[in-house]
Amino acid sequence: MSDFNVTSAEGTVSIKPPPETPKLPPRLWIKENLFSSPFNVFLTIASTGILLILGRGLLSFIFSHERQWGSTATNLRLLMTQAYPEEQYMRVWVCVGVIFTLTGLSMAVWNAGSRVALRRLGSFLLSTGVVIDILTLLAPFSSSATIIWLCVGTGISLFGGSLVKFSDEDKTMSVLTVTVIALAGAILSLWVVPYGHHSFVFERTPRSLAEAGTVALTTKLPWTIMLLIGIVAYFAGKAIREKVSQNVLRVSVLTIWFLAPPALLYLVLRDPDFDMGHVLNTDIPIFLVFAAVGAGLLFWLTRPTAGELGKVIAAITLLIGFGSFLTPMRMIIRILILLLAIFAISAPTFAGDTQTRRRYSLGWIGVSGVTCWLVTAINTPSTVEVPGSFFIGGVSLTLLIAIFTIVISFPLGILLALGRTSTMPIFRILCTWFIEFVRGIPLITILIFFSIMFPMFLPKEMEIGEVASIVIGYSLFSSAYLAENVRGGLQSVTRGQHEAADAVGMTTPQKTLFIVLPQALRVSIPPLVSHCIGVFKETSLLAIIGLFDILYIARNVIPNQTEFLGSVRENLLFVCLIYWILSYQMSKASQRLERRVGLGER
Amino acid sequence: MNETNNEASTGSNRDLSNAADMIVCENVSKWYGDFQALDEVSATIKEQEVVVVLGPSGSGKSTWIRCINRLEQHQEGRIEVDGIELTNDLRNIEKVRSEVGMVFQQFNLFPHLKVIDNVTLAPIWVRKKPRVEAQEQAIALLERVGIPEQADKYPGQLSGGQQQRVAIARALAMEPRIMLFDEPTSALDPEMIKEVLDVMKELALSGMTMMVVTHEVGFAKEVADRIIFMDEGQIVEIGTPETFFTNPVEERSKLFLSQIL
Repeated sequence: MSDFNVTSAEGTVSIKPPPETPKLPPRLWIKENLFSSPFNVFLTIASTGILLILGRGLLSFIFSHERQWGSTATNLRLLMTQAYPEEQYMRVWVCVGVIFTLTGLSMAVWNAGSRVALRRLGSFLLSTGVVIDILTLLAPFSSSATIIWLCVGTGISLFGGSLVKFSDEDKTMSVLTVTVIALAGAILSLWVVPYGHHSFVFERTPRSLAEAGTVALTTKLPWTIMLLIGIVAYFAGKAIREKVSQNVLRVSVLTIWFLAPPALLYLVLRDPDFDMGHVLNTDIPIFLVFAAVGAGLLFWLTRPTAGELGKVIAAITLLIGFGSFLTPMRMIIRILILLLAIFAISAPTFAGDTQTRRRYSLGWIGVSGVTCWLVTAINTPSTVEVPGSFFIGGVSLTLLIAIFTIVISFPLGILLALGRTSTMPIFRILCTWFIEFVRGIPLITILIFFSIMFPMFLPKEMEIGEVASIVIGYSLFSSAYLAENVRGGLQSVTRGQHEAADAVGMTTPQKTLFIVLPQALRVSIPPLVSHCIGVFKETSLLAIIGLFDILYIARNVIPNQTEFLGSVRENLLFVCLIYWILSYQMSKASQRLERRVGLGER
Repeated sequence: MNETNNEASTGSNRDLSNAADMIVCENVSKWYGDFQALDEVSATIKEQEVVVVLGPSGSGKSTWIRCINRLEQHQEGRIEVDGIELTNDLRNIEKVRSEVGMVFQQFNLFPHLKVIDNVTLAPIWVRKKPRVEAQEQAIALLERVGIPEQADKYPGQLSGGQQQRVAIARALAMEPRIMLFDEPTSALDPEMIKEVLDVMKELALSGMTMMVVTHEVGFAKEVADRIIFMDEGQIVEIGTPETFFTNPVEERSKLFLSQIL
């Protein structure tokens, strides 16, 4: 399709390039931008002064002799995963490894990373070095530390300066390479620089230990391996990209990303103790029956000529699904019937030729398989014994709850928004009431309700973990807000788009799926991302209901250790840093996404 | 237009009296609140006929044409398209819409899809055509409207005239039996009007049943089999281009023509 002979109407017209804007030398730039008028001179001097005072304050706080940074360094593992047993720690590294692999793969598949001119990189390093030097002079360091830091800062500036001076005008480097080099440098420094070895030793009583020397092997070795895994995955992804079709590759990588959180949580971190006999004679037969019957039914339903009979059969499936709650049976069967009903109802929307129908049926087999597998894994007891109610805490718990909440509340929020703007009065009223009700309740109330009271409302034979019920509550809360963001986007889709879709004969689901939602979601990216960042940060409220999230550990656990009594401030600062890094990454990702989907905007 | 073959010509010089009825409107009325937009509009449009609807702004011509594929609902009277009566029955509406192509004043292309996907979307999901077949057809249609090289661009990267031609290709991809044009050139720069009108002429020559709301008198004279003149929601006069433009019967038509000619 791409090999058309492009003949422009203008023919060959000599194009006059726009005049070049001259690049000012630094001295002139400073004069023009910072000292252009007496008032600007005053503003520049005053704000520089304020910045220096603030910087000095922060540095004196960080490098004061009263700070016990050992409390953070020693408790890093506690802050990250809380009480996950030491001898099973390999599992945590496997999870991190999977994430690195996927990241590397995705970078290759989506061809991520722009290129940066070496000169720009050089001037960035130059200014970074200067900032380090200034901060070093401000900080209350001992003279030897001052000299070391000054050397580091000057070294960086010199390197940056030489890049600016000696590299070609248009020589570029991929941002990805720069990032990997920086990461590799940081990890290499773990092997070389004597940061000191902080950990607890358990002889008779737990006792903190800070040895001289480089970081412990149990930290630096896994991180080195992680980096290597990421790089290998990247090149593997590049190799695969040449051979497999882009769409197939992207869809499968995305699917793995979505399956990774539940799979890692329930299969790797918990290590379920499967009862193979039960799996063989109950779970697998149930899956096989549903996969075969469902695939056949869906293949038949997606015929373009299925018509009214197909709709009736889909409705009957849904009724059987609801009816199944009246008689005792395995939960997995009910879930599968309901899932099949959803597939059957949406079948006419996706009807098409044999290939499309086969794909739809295969999609059902995949979804039912994953569902069976997860339900079995969730219901099997864990072999990993941990103290406390939940087996991880700290950053892992924060991330776990944030990721699950965001992933669950996204489809829920979109459905609520569609319901609220729907023409069907019952849906509209229900969704509006739900949204208005949930938005009127403080999050903390919902969290308390779901952690304490929700389990009491469940039927007798059902049990649900505290974390699971909190995720349910938090998702409901988040979806109400998300729905309002999406609704804003839905309203921005013009009437002409609806009419154009109607005029070519699309049904309402098709119109919503192919025309309205893509445009609405694109418009709502900025509010949706700030919502996600909000969800992530507000997990800190979990501290109030006594879950061991990172804030709770920093505020209540570490300051109570006999070694580090009262060391709250260091840890809070560290928590701030972690929250900031992760939120900033989300914000950067959203900016990239915006630029990417901005393509073809009117 | 120098075809002498009667089969491939349009205009008032051909005999359509034996052709089947494609659109039948009987006493169609519609109100917006208290304002009556359509007042007992009755007309029959034959197969392969090209009808141009003229009239001042607010005379109800767009409302009428939009009633024919149910983008607006008429409140009284009946509309029958290719033997299917338009009622509240969703199945009939879907059937009629897949028979009737529509081109809008504001193009209304889908801005998030490439040109080729704009054209193939409905054939794939509504007509259930295999993707490859739909794409071949789309390329052929884009060639027919003269812009095959733009297939992989987004609508926002095209000029107005090109966008409108994509919109025509998108409507044609559903293989409609009737095409409705709602002021297709009103939002275009003067120099782009011709390229769109050329495509429409070619379409008329190929025997498509067309109903065109436009202010382009030249197009009406050249291509139309009949002119329908509307004012204040009523059909004032129906006639062949020759009689309507040279010798109109009604006073209102004379006044309108004196202002636009």
